Amino acid sequence: MKKMLSILLALCLMTGVSLAESAQPVTITFWHHYSAQSAENETLMNVLIPQFESENPGIKVNAVSHEWAELHDKVLVSASSQSLPDVARCDIAWLPEFEKMGILVALDEAMGNFADVSATLLDSAMSTAKIGDHYYGLALNTNSKIMFYQTAMLEAAGVAVPQTMDEWVEAVRKLSGTNTNGQQVWGWNEPALSGWNICPFIWSFGGSLTDEAQTVATGYINSAATVKAIETFAQLYKDGALTGFNSGDIPMTDGFGTGRYAMMLEGPWKTAELEGAYPDTAYGTAPIPAGEGGSVSVLGGEDIAMFTTANQDAAWKFMEFMTGEYAETEMAKCGQIPVNKAALESDVVKGAAYAPFIEAIQSAKARPTVAAWSEMDNELNMALTAVVNGEKTAQESMDALAVTFDELLKK
Amino acid sequence: METKSRVNRVQLTALLLPGLLIFAVFTVYPIFRLLCMSFCDWNFGSMLSQPFIGLANYQDVFSDDIFWVVFVNSIVYTLVTVPAQMALGLMVAVLLSGIKRFSVSFRVMNYLPVITSWVIASLVFRYIFNTEGLLNYCLSRLTGAANVRWLDTRWSGLSVAMILGAWKGVGWNMVVFLAALQQVPADLYEAAEMDGCGSWKRFWNVTLPSIKGTILFALIMLTIGGFNVFTSIKMITGGKPAHQTDTLLTWMYYKAFSTGNFGYSAALSFIMALCLGLMAIAQFRAMKNRDA
Repeated sequence: MKKMLSILLALCLMTGVSLAESAQPVTITFWHHYSAQSAENETLMNVLIPQFESENPGIKVNAVSHEWAELHDKVLVSASSQSLPDVARCDIAWLPEFEKMGILVALDEAMGNFADVSATLLDSAMSTAKIGDHYYGLALNTNSKIMFYQTAMLEAAGVAVPQTMDEWVEAVRKLSGTNTNGQQVWGWNEPALSGWNICPFIWSFGGSLTDEAQTVATGYINSAATVKAIETFAQLYKDGALTGFNSGDIPMTDGFGTGRYAMMLEGPWKTAELEGAYPDTAYGTAPIPAGEGGSVSVLGGEDIAMFTTANQDAAWKFMEFMTGEYAETEMAKCGQIPVNKAALESDVVKGAAYAPFIEAIQSAKARPTVAAWSEMDNELNMALTAVVNGEKTAQESMDALAVTFDELLKK
Repeated sequence: METKSRVNRVQLTALLLPGLLIFAVFTVYPIFRLLCMSFCDWNFGSMLSQPFIGLANYQDVFSDDIFWVVFVNSIVYTLVTVPAQMALGLMVAVLLSGIKRFSVSFRVMNYLPVITSWVIASLVFRYIFNTEGLLNYCLSRLTGAANVRWLDTRWSGLSVAMILGAWKGVGWNMVVFLAALQQVPADLYEAAEMDGCGSWKRFWNVTLPSIKGTILFALIMLTIGGFNVFTSIKMITGGKPAHQTDTLLTWMYYKAFSTGNFGYSAALSFIMALCLGLMAIAQFRAMKNRDA
């Protein structure tokens, strides 16, 4: 019996060894967070990877799907155990953090044709991959926020769609009050007070968070324009014209769908959400109103990055493929907004439901691409909360925040 | 004889070993690692090397304004919910031990909140106390007053979590105290009655001293539970506004998993463990003194 077992074991080992030896082609591992059941994952597994493998015989792609938050943590854990994948699709907010850990490849140094590849992609999207002087990823897909407005509410109040920030303030005030049922309604909904929410206003008012080099905040986060944006915001809240960020408030989609919130700034996913939950609610979209700084929205999206442990040649080929016109167009059919300039010109993209967002993306800005951003974001949130709750004036709060930001930027 | 005891000992070791191993690997070792972590610069930015930084994490915690906010929140939560649920639980237990009919139905009814999921109960409480929620709806219908923002300020938001905590805890206390009350010898009550004690005096002089051990047990368990409050805060206010309603655990979670500052959270967890240990000792002492 024992003999049998040992023979069996030896056999297993031998087949294992011979299998490993016969595995001639290079296999690269690609971690992503397209959900397992999604159309994106279907396209990736059944269209893109077969296409890539037929174009590049000798390279096999092992794609692994993770949950969004799980992927972030998985990368952190794998970094300490040296078991990182070759390539991963990363939220643009993660890159600075990963770069600081020293696990990303600086592509502009390592790849000879980096400039050619990056030239095919949108500059605004590529800016999310630039940390310091180097690029640590390629932009993969993007998103941004535009203004959604409740057509019926604007018509009833006789308010035109606001084009400028002055018109916006006036419209938000006019749209607030009580409805025919005696319920309170608000002109504007903003679901939180973090950078994702407030940056579009700061930028459109002509303010900023840091200098261009992202090294100092004093003079930027507490500049007159930034403070004015925040004062305007806080005053509208005090006047009962703006809400959404308190725990007790009506959730965003429900408030908009049931006519309690007249306007909001949201991303492409909201279209599908409203279609599903409130198909009868008529609404329109427009760019964020322009202020002193123009009409500047905030950039979201994903980059594709390579880890230091990767098989670099094979990984780079895959990254080039994924950001190329073919893959980007295929993914655009599933609702991913492409960043490849050629793909953006295709009919698929021009006819898509997210077409209005593409204009906003051209002028949108990324939140600071620094490793301390999540801490800065938390500080920003607390500073803004103090202002809207009337504990501090906007100037006081931003002056204090500037000191904190300066320290965090030095880290 | 000797061989027998040796066999016994081998047998004993063999039987204990799996349990001890699991305890060592999954409890002792993680605690030890956590202790190391609390002395190191352990964050996302330094995943590959964790330099020893001594007590810097502990300093960070104590010099952090928000730590003091959440620490006070946890203490207030514990000071309010523990006595409330113990008093209510004991009251229900005494009332139930005095009735003959429907006692099982009443027990079930009082125990139902305990087996309700924390998440579901928290969501229901959130819907009740929302600015547009059930409570405000009733209040504004009755009085015509404007909606109160229950969840949006520090103390009212915490109060909602405290009401939930007390409501959910009564059943557990009832069961524990019911069991204790059944252990009190009936002849003590008879003797007290003969000495002319009224029902209040009997409760004060017979019942309470007899279930002192159970009271201490409940007190310590609930104090630990009070400091460990997490789900209800996370679900009801999420720490808003600006961490004003966070408690020790939700803040610890936030620091570790949202900002990646694992060293800070590790230090915080040891500070919390130390506080709980000291409190348990103090509670033991206080109960002993009363005995003397």
